[in-house]
Amino acid sequence: MFELADITTFIVSISVFLILFVKVYVVAAVLFSLPIPLTWIERKVAGHIQVRLGPFTVGPHGILQPIADTLKSFSKEDVIPEKADRLIFILAPLIALVPACMVFVAIPFGESVTIPYINYELTLYIADMNVALLYILAISGLGIYGIIFGGWASNSKYAVLGGLRSAAQMISYEVALSFAAIGVVMLSNSLSLVEIVKSQAGGFWNWNLFYLPVGPVWFIIFIIAGIAEINRIPFDLPEDEGTLGAGFSVEYSGMKFAFFPLAEYIAMTTVSILAVLMFLGGWNTPFPGAPVVPPIFWFGIKVLAFIYFFMWTRFTFPRYRYDQLMTIGWKILIPICLVNLLVTGFMRILL
Amino acid sequence: MKKGRNVSRKIEGGLIGLLKKIFFIDLLTGMSVTLGYNLGKSITMRYPHEEKWIPYPRFRGVHTLNRDDEGRELCVACELCVAACPTDCITVVPEEDLTGRGIADRVPKVWTVNLVRCLFCGYCEDACPTTAVRLSRDYELATTDFSRTVRNRDELLQPPAIPETVKGGVVVEARYDKKNMKVRANMLRQKDWWKSKLNLG
Repeated sequence: MFELADITTFIVSISVFLILFVKVYVVAAVLFSLPIPLTWIERKVAGHIQVRLGPFTVGPHGILQPIADTLKSFSKEDVIPEKADRLIFILAPLIALVPACMVFVAIPFGESVTIPYINYELTLYIADMNVALLYILAISGLGIYGIIFGGWASNSKYAVLGGLRSAAQMISYEVALSFAAIGVVMLSNSLSLVEIVKSQAGGFWNWNLFYLPVGPVWFIIFIIAGIAEINRIPFDLPEDEGTLGAGFSVEYSGMKFAFFPLAEYIAMTTVSILAVLMFLGGWNTPFPGAPVVPPIFWFGIKVLAFIYFFMWTRFTFPRYRYDQLMTIGWKILIPICLVNLLVTGFMRILL
Repeated sequence: MKKGRNVSRKIEGGLIGLLKKIFFIDLLTGMSVTLGYNLGKSITMRYPHEEKWIPYPRFRGVHTLNRDDEGRELCVACELCVAACPTDCITVVPEEDLTGRGIADRVPKVWTVNLVRCLFCGYCEDACPTTAVRLSRDYELATTDFSRTVRNRDELLQPPAIPETVKGGVVVEARYDKKNMKVRANMLRQKDWWKSKLNLG
């Protein structure tokens, strides 16, 4: 016979599972619809920076253009080159996309909200891992396999060059990115992103960015390495249009091609969110005395600002040459990281 | 090539150059420029759906044949335009007419211009002794009907869409008429589209 307490426990555990399921579903839906506004914003920013208007025909101010693009991608012929490695060629876009999405398991969007009427406290993250930062760095590093496999399996010289560059760039910049993460861990004494954000509460002067003098240096290192990680200008050597055609994605068409930009946009959002969580105080308000707005508002504003920043740099800077890229990575960023690590350590011990 | 000497290579611009590099001054300058463009006004003309460019009077578009104040044709079929034309695109066949259709008793029976051959040099305009031939400001010549590329006398005698009294050099409101595949321009509101804050020079 069941005890009443058993049934209650059962219902509670079922509801916990259901809530988790709904959360995962919502996050996945948001992630897959993310490129729709982002491509539109990117093309608009590109247009206005180049004194054009950007897309203007489909819908008011071209707002439905990404949907038209998606339909176009679906209706395109899906070509697989004759001498391509079919299995890996088909798998590569998925391998690029899946880790980019997996990262979001560990990303918090806020602390918790209380749902009115039923008085249930809903946490705004799927899982608060105690090693969230490590997990994110490890999983987002896997995404590069999609690019390398895609480049290799295409059996095209441009694609394989793009894949090779991507691998080399990844090795150089993952180090600096991890060092920046270590710096933040030292400043916040935790690997959990929720804890990292909590440690920056109360005004913008408590943010890791303003932990002078090492905070800004970590921040700049993180941004540079982050741009290199997500393969955007000025570090977009894997898909260097000027010299490699379209790099690793040159043989892809249709929806398989669309998966690469999708993964790139999700990765761009990941880096923006990470920068906000690690350096800009996450969902904490910058001005404690100001009128109270929902924390998710501050979070969204900061992330949007970062996404705009990435688009802004994309249409401002020229591309680095391959040897310059390597020089920046090994001869400049990593020594600065080591020195900064030392300074941060001393500051944490002595202050 | 002595490689060892490159190690202590001087940084470009000395101390100021180094500081510039550390604080990303050049990159920030570039970004401020692009931000200015991003916030500034676009110079794209939304032709044909919203705006249309009205050229200056010096613009050389489709030919027109003009009449004098009493409505008589100015053309005297002297065929000087045919002689001046470098591409032989104008055909004039004169006839005698005493009904007062033209200003003289010699009028064109046929006056056609082949717009595919024409290079809009304006020599016919210069050669014309009676200012009968003028190049109008009509520039929308794209067509799917090949017969539209040869314009005859009756078409050319119609008054041009943009009267010569309009100063031009402006963008006006326009809308695209899908059915007739024509751009309808509205001359009421004139916009100085180039008066944006940007200095493109």
